[in-house]
Amino acid sequence: MLSFGKAGFRKLAGAAAAVLFFALNALGQTQSQTGDVKPIPILQGSAGFITNFDGGDAHLAPIATPVVLVPVGERWLFETRANFETDMVQLPGRSGFHGQVEKQVDYAQIDFIANKYATVSVGRFLTPFGIYNERLYPVWIRNLQSDPLTLPIGIGPSNASTGVMVRGGFKARPQFDINYTVYFSTLVTTTPVDSDRFAGGRAGIFVPKARLEVGGSFQHLLQQERSNLFGFHAVWQPTKLPLDIRWEYARSKRGSGYWLEPAYKLSQLPFLQNEMRRTQLVARYQQFFTGQLASDSLPPVNTKQFEFGVNYYFMDGLKFTTNYGRQFSSIGNKNVWTLGLTYRFVVPMGPEGGRR
Amino acid sequence: MKRNWMLICCLGVMTFLVGTAIAQEPTKPEAAPKLPADMPLLSANSNPNDENALPQRTKRTRQARHTTKREQSERAEGEQRFRENCGRCHQPPHKFPPRVMAAAIRHMRVRAMLTDEDMRLILKYMTQ
Repeated sequence: MLSFGKAGFRKLAGAAAAVLFFALNALGQTQSQTGDVKPIPILQGSAGFITNFDGGDAHLAPIATPVVLVPVGERWLFETRANFETDMVQLPGRSGFHGQVEKQVDYAQIDFIANKYATVSVGRFLTPFGIYNERLYPVWIRNLQSDPLTLPIGIGPSNASTGVMVRGGFKARPQFDINYTVYFSTLVTTTPVDSDRFAGGRAGIFVPKARLEVGGSFQHLLQQERSNLFGFHAVWQPTKLPLDIRWEYARSKRGSGYWLEPAYKLSQLPFLQNEMRRTQLVARYQQFFTGQLASDSLPPVNTKQFEFGVNYYFMDGLKFTTNYGRQFSSIGNKNVWTLGLTYRFVVPMGPEGGRR
Repeated sequence: MKRNWMLICCLGVMTFLVGTAIAQEPTKPEAAPKLPADMPLLSANSNPNDENALPQRTKRTRQARHTTKREQSERAEGEQRFRENCGRCHQPPHKFPPRVMAAAIRHMRVRAMLTDEDMRLILKYMTQ
């Protein structure tokens, strides 16, 4: 059941007016967004089979996340992602692994590319708080298959928001680009597409020459304790090394923490070059600190975790992944092992056209 | 019994998707764009704008050279933008057919907040 307050309706009306404004603004622009290439609908996404041993308990987790993209005209895009995931475990007194398939629509949004500075999205969208939820979550993208401990901070009960979002990226100066997102989400209480009522934004600066992106996120909760949340993120890829460093910090009344994840491809090693260029070493160190309020999705006590992993890319869309981690907390230390195979697929849903 | 069926279905789906992924892998590297046969190669220190320094050529050849150079320049710029932007989150994908890539790049325009120019140049690079 959807639950809107009067203020919620006022804000949605304001959002609709904004969409209209950008639509009118776009009428004055005639340049095609994609040149002379007409996009077609595509089905893409990822799938994987992840096995993890969490404190000695084995979990089998097949996962499939299809994404459907339907471009309409020059400026519109409908995009949706579903998630089918099972957590199969051994139950006491029964043989084999058992689990139910959890089905969820991660996002279903309509995007309108208004101009080179702004895109308006309406519907259910991934909450852009930090970078992990929106950009690094799919199994084929993430370097380590476990979620960061701080991931639930600021992204809502089902990792998504329902409402309106305006976002964009543009070259502010020759030396750097600016990207931003502002959004409003309304309260939805229908599981599994529930969302909280909040408003927030994220902004970042990307310096192409240094391959460095830094940014921050802010969110104000418009329900419950009406608190403020904030976070920072950074991504750096040194130009001289096949190294990729990502970092995020998030703080809320329910907890705070950070994670730091360097990943290094062995492509510069002088031997077994075909194998080494496909091999990536990854590590992640993270800490979580409990807040004033409790949360079901965050650890109940202060927690530290270190993980080390190796990824092997058979090709860009097919990856074998493995990692070992050790978690330290006052309720007990434990080992976390993960093994998995992930792949990404793209299936055109129309005449794809030849290479130019 | 039900579990066995689930495993068989999982294996079937995985086989199909792995097959799809393998089928997408290009078998040959992309050929470099062909230059006109009568086009002299530039030396490292030659000045392409110095008309006196160039040998006599037809107008058509000059135009072809100009177009090729511009395309090469845009392609190089597109490749650079591709590495800077796409590589921040994921492994660089191989090239897709143009209309597929046009849909994917529009998705990335929204998701990764690519600039207008990034989108145009990356699309050009990825579809040539």
